[in-house]
Amino acid sequence: MLTDKVWRAAVAIVVSAAVAGMTLGACSSSGAAPKDGRIAVVAAENEYGNVASQIGGRYVSVSSIESNPNTDPHDYEVSPGVAGEVSRAQVVIQNGIGYDDYMSKIESASPNAKRRVIDVQELLGLPDSTPNPHLWYNPVTMPKVAKALASDLGSIEPVHASYFKANASKFVASLDPWLKAIARFKATFPGTPVATTEPVADYMLEAAGTRNLTPFSLQADIMNGVDPSPEAVSIQDGLFSHHKVKVFVYNQQVTDSLTQSFVTAARKAGIPVVGVYETMPVPGYDYQSWMLAEVKALYRAVAAKVSTVRL
Amino acid sequence: MVAGLAPVIEPGFFSNGPVQLALTVGGVVAVVSGLVGTFTVVRGQSFAGHSLADIGTAGGSAAFLLGVSPLYGFFAMNLLAAGAMELIGLRRPRGRDLATGVVLGAALGLAALFLYLDTTSTSTTGATINVLFGSIFTLSTSLVPVVAVFGGVAVGLVLLLYRPLLLSSLSADLAAARAVRVRLVGAGYLVALAFAVSLSAIAIGAILSTALLIGPAATALRLTRRPGLAMAAAAGLGVLATWLGVLLAYDSFYWQPSSQGWPVSFFVVALVVVLFLAAQAFVAMRERRV
Repeated sequence: MLTDKVWRAAVAIVVSAAVAGMTLGACSSSGAAPKDGRIAVVAAENEYGNVASQIGGRYVSVSSIESNPNTDPHDYEVSPGVAGEVSRAQVVIQNGIGYDDYMSKIESASPNAKRRVIDVQELLGLPDSTPNPHLWYNPVTMPKVAKALASDLGSIEPVHASYFKANASKFVASLDPWLKAIARFKATFPGTPVATTEPVADYMLEAAGTRNLTPFSLQADIMNGVDPSPEAVSIQDGLFSHHKVKVFVYNQQVTDSLTQSFVTAARKAGIPVVGVYETMPVPGYDYQSWMLAEVKALYRAVAAKVSTVRL
Repeated sequence: MVAGLAPVIEPGFFSNGPVQLALTVGGVVAVVSGLVGTFTVVRGQSFAGHSLADIGTAGGSAAFLLGVSPLYGFFAMNLLAAGAMELIGLRRPRGRDLATGVVLGAALGLAALFLYLDTTSTSTTGATINVLFGSIFTLSTSLVPVVAVFGGVAVGLVLLLYRPLLLSSLSADLAAARAVRVRLVGAGYLVALAFAVSLSAIAIGAILSTALLIGPAATALRLTRRPGLAMAAAAGLGVLATWLGVLLAYDSFYWQPSSQGWPVSFFVVALVVVLFLAAQAFVAMRERRV
């Protein structure tokens, strides 16, 4: 009898707490839309959000979903608050290639004919089977994103179209130091052999003319969080112990006991380590300065054997 | 001998670092699981054994948050759960399943929370696969002494308790009448079980570790009723399944052009089942002949 009462009381408490929690959650997610007339932009990753702020300037309010440089964006799980933000956004930027699948799901769950979606994969005309989703490391990506942003923002607020366009040109011009640094690296150290943990910076490494000796299957397994094959692991170990690579490019945001053991092996062999990021490290960086810092770190590693584990 | 096996064994198998480690650790794990598992089957505690392994997922996933090897997490959680089971009274079959079920649910819920925190608040990758399905090729060599100590203690406990444990497993009443401290012996066995399932959790994963605990032991007990022989056979069959599993996982790298091997846990568990079915068929044939 008594236990029966206790049970009922317990159930009542749990249910009311759950209901209260849900209501609170619903309230907190409703205040995100800007009421000051600025265009609401939501970016799945903060590097795209950063470019959107540079193009939109004072006429946009940008929020980025993934901005924690200490977590693995591939494992992101969406919360109800984020869904609300995306459904109210006027411009959405997403990477595509399965990197942020949840965005398309939220968009189709809350249809809005007026919302403009910039899908970077589509923008670059890449197939779904593209093995490396880290498109923002590719020097050709952001100029196209900037132009698409300027045109979308301009059609939402035609009064400021020329302002957005000017910002886009300014942004594209500001990428110059980065492109020059890549070209300089390529000219000074052509065909530099490198090892990586993940394909995160592979587009940039390719542009810099390096040869990535890590088997792609290993990079993909680490990226996807599944067990790598022993063959691939021992090929990678050999790259360090036999000094076959000049630098080890290591994804800060995705670590496990295996990547740690690679860092240790690289250190032991005296091979400099360069940490790269999937999302823009904040505070302190914008997209351009972040990319430039990565190339400079790579240059220092090969030229002076200096490690840059964290930017 | 090795040269004759060349068509089956892809090049570099024996000189591969991760493979050597997997064979060493996998061998220890299989022996411990076989010895302890024989008692699990004789005592009719397969469900408790499986639950213990699943409960360990909460510890394994918490270990990632603390930045230590999941082995310690598995073991701490398993020991805790084994203590709880002993207190609840594993010997009473009805209360046992109920209590085990409730504790199991709570632990898996905790594991869900910890795995969520692992992926959303740390840079850890692959924790889910690692905890649930194991990651024998990415073990750190620094873990070998720990595995050896864990394995040694578990085997030592089972050998030390062999006679009274066997008696109380077959008939608790008879054992009690012969002045065996049934409860103490049972507790000692649970500690050995906690060691066994945590070891096998790092090899083939918490979810699958029962396969190595129950499978070879059940197979051995189909073939012989002599407990000592069954234990030896269970250990041998476990080692066979594990080593062959490692070999097949290594070879599978060359099966597809994409150079992506299949998970070793799948091969080990599949081989355990194949061995069990083969023993079933063998026994059926033998009985028909008699």
